[in-house]
Amino acid sequence: MIPPVPAVLIDLAGKVAANAAPDVNPTDRAGALGLSAMLLGLAAEAWDSAAHHLVVENRTLRGLLAQGAAYVGPPAERPEDDFRLSALGAENGRLRAALIILHAAVEGRDQVLEDAIWAELGASTERRKIKGSAV
Amino acid sequence: MAVRDLARISGGASRETYRFTASWTEGDAPRERKLILRRDPPASLIDTERRIEFEAYRAFRGSRVPVPEMLWLEEGNGPLDHPFFIAEEIAGYQAGPGLLWTDPYLASHRHLAQRKWSILGDIARADPDAVGLTGVMPAVQAEDCWRRELGIWEDILDADEAEPMPIIRAAIRWLRANPPPPAQKVGVVHGDYRTGNFLFDTQGEIHGILDWEMAHLGDPLEDLGWSLNPIWSFGRGLAGGLVPQDQAVAIWEQASGLQADPAALYWWTLFNCVKGQAIWVSSARAWLDGGNREPIMVYPAWAMTNAQDRAVLQVMGRL
Repeated sequence: MIPPVPAVLIDLAGKVAANAAPDVNPTDRAGALGLSAMLLGLAAEAWDSAAHHLVVENRTLRGLLAQGAAYVGPPAERPEDDFRLSALGAENGRLRAALIILHAAVEGRDQVLEDAIWAELGASTERRKIKGSAV
Repeated sequence: MAVRDLARISGGASRETYRFTASWTEGDAPRERKLILRRDPPASLIDTERRIEFEAYRAFRGSRVPVPEMLWLEEGNGPLDHPFFIAEEIAGYQAGPGLLWTDPYLASHRHLAQRKWSILGDIARADPDAVGLTGVMPAVQAEDCWRRELGIWEDILDADEAEPMPIIRAAIRWLRANPPPPAQKVGVVHGDYRTGNFLFDTQGEIHGILDWEMAHLGDPLEDLGWSLNPIWSFGRGLAGGLVPQDQAVAIWEQASGLQADPAALYWWTLFNCVKGQAIWVSSARAWLDGGNREPIMVYPAWAMTNAQDRAVLQVMGRL
């Protein structure tokens, strides 16, 4: 999730504290706290599965990139030894950037691989889907 | 003149919006009026020209497109730190889409849809020169509408995205490889015409079209495509959450006198998914860069980004 959850939570903590002051305009307080509550809910929803989804997705992306090595050289291998969300997210970004290049390279040239990429892109949105998603 | 009951209206990530009551004396008679103040925030989810927004409202004042009366525009930073304008408040109606899925609004959907896409057709039908907007909005040729708009929003994505977006990049490749035909006319494009950006009542009547900050000249199909962006179905699988898409398009065609060529409308609907994603990405960027740390800047980034990707997949038949 961008902006990153920890940074947003720190900021929200400050906002909640600021809105505890008695002289805050009630309308402003209601607006700030209502939105803060919604964001806390979204963060909570993503929290438990976030690392799992990134590990699954990164492994799938490595597989697709290896499959497409004939079209675009895959990115350098990196050990999967840092499971902090920030590290997994950075690796996910690196792999998704490589996937964009591969996707463009195989369009109209390799229907099987192109379909596999689309299937993974669809799956990635299922992993990220929140309750009440508009689509 | 005195100002009282100043209160910020929550929501609105591209402008800060406040309502207040102004009171003054004319001769010996006390007068008062409910007004709206819209001020630029320190950093916005989209950077827009408030003069264009102001003039767009004024252009349609008194027409079949209901808009609030614009009163004053201040483009300098002196008086209130950021540019702002003041308009009349159209009080007593709702704008929040969430209410529409509850009683008594549920029964109004058909009429509301009729009004929504009829008014959009009226905007499309308007002559930009006759309503005085060619002097403030950049000109564009009919054959260049798509290229200019796609370029604008792709540039924003390039500048603001914080992580690679393979779905949106695939959509952009498709859009560039399959351009739409030239616009039937260069018209006024509202730029953010969707459920949630107009004031409605329980009977499905619309009393004010709001949020003209992205208004420009272009292909009227752009607005229709934005209104059909699946993100604005609110999970209900209907255009704008109200009626099936073919009904919405038929209403618009009748009101505008224009044709919604299916292939062209497909292009503009997919384009609007890209535009939507650029807006959500910009929202995150404004927060990340520290220019605007309001929670409203995080909400679209967290709640809409993946849904917008899914909208692309849905439009492209990949979901």
